[in-house]
Amino acid sequence: MDEVFRALADPTRRELLDRLFEVDGQSLGALEKGLPMSRFGVMKHLKVLEEAGLVTTRRRGREKLHFLNPVPIRLIHDRWVGKYAEPWASALSELKTELEDEL
Amino acid sequence: MSDEQTYTVVGGRASMTVFEVYIKTTPERLWEAITSEQMRARYSFGVGTVSEWTAGSEYKSEVPGVVEIAGGKNLEVDPPRRLVQSFTALWSEDVQREGESRVTWEIEPVGTSCRLRVTHDQLGAEANNELYGGWPMILSGLKTLLETGEDLDTPGSLRYSEAGA
Repeated sequence: MDEVFRALADPTRRELLDRLFEVDGQSLGALEKGLPMSRFGVMKHLKVLEEAGLVTTRRRGREKLHFLNPVPIRLIHDRWVGKYAEPWASALSELKTELEDEL
Repeated sequence: MSDEQTYTVVGGRASMTVFEVYIKTTPERLWEAITSEQMRARYSFGVGTVSEWTAGSEYKSEVPGVVEIAGGKNLEVDPPRRLVQSFTALWSEDVQREGESRVTWEIEPVGTSCRLRVTHDQLGAEANNELYGGWPMILSGLKTLLETGEDLDTPGSLRYSEAGA
C-alpha cells in the first residue's frame, strides 16, 4: 500500500492514470504525447505505476500496451474511506433520501 | 497472458479492461472462492453464481426472485488456473443491450500469494462502463474474504444480500 501512495504522490503519474482512464490500453508512444519530458522520463513513471500495481501491461505484436488497474485504489478506499468517511457519506445519503421523500 | 485476447480502440474507448489483485492464499482456495455459490455471494454484492463448472456448461449469477445479474457459458475450465466465460449482463435494460462479452480469470501463484487477473474483453463500441465497473469492488471483497474471513461492509458491497436472505 505504501507503493500505491508513493506512486500517486506525483502529478505526472496521476496525469498518466487519467489518460489511461480516458483511453485504456495505450502504448508508450501515445502516452508520452504532450508531456513535457523525455521518453525515458515517462518510462520511469510508468515503471513506478506498474510496480505499484496501478498499471498492467500486455504485448500486442511489438507494442507494449498499458492498462489502468483500479483495484489498488479500491483497496485503499475499502481500507480507509470505509473506516473514516463512511458514517459521513451514509448520513448524507440518508438525508438526501429523506429530503427527496418529502418532495 | 493470452495473445488471443482482443484489443481495439473503438470510438476512443478500449474494448478490453484488465483488473489485477494479489491475494495471500493458494490457487485451490482462490478457485473455490470463485466457483462456490455461497463464497461468491459474500463478495459479489450478495449475488451467488451457480454452475456445474465444466467446459460448455452454463452459469447464472442471481439472487433468485430478487435480481438477475449475469449469465453465459464456461468456455474454458482449467482448475485452479484459468476460467474463460462468456458474459451477458442482465441487471438492467441498458446493460442487456450491450450483448455478450467475455471474462477471463487467470490465477498465478507468486511466492505465498496468488495473482488473480480478470480480463473483461470483447466489449462493444462505447461499452457501458457499468459492465465492468463492479470488478474493483468484487476483487477487493474477494481479497478481504480470503485473507481475513470477513465480508466487506463498504456501501453497496452487500447490496442484494439482505433482500435475498
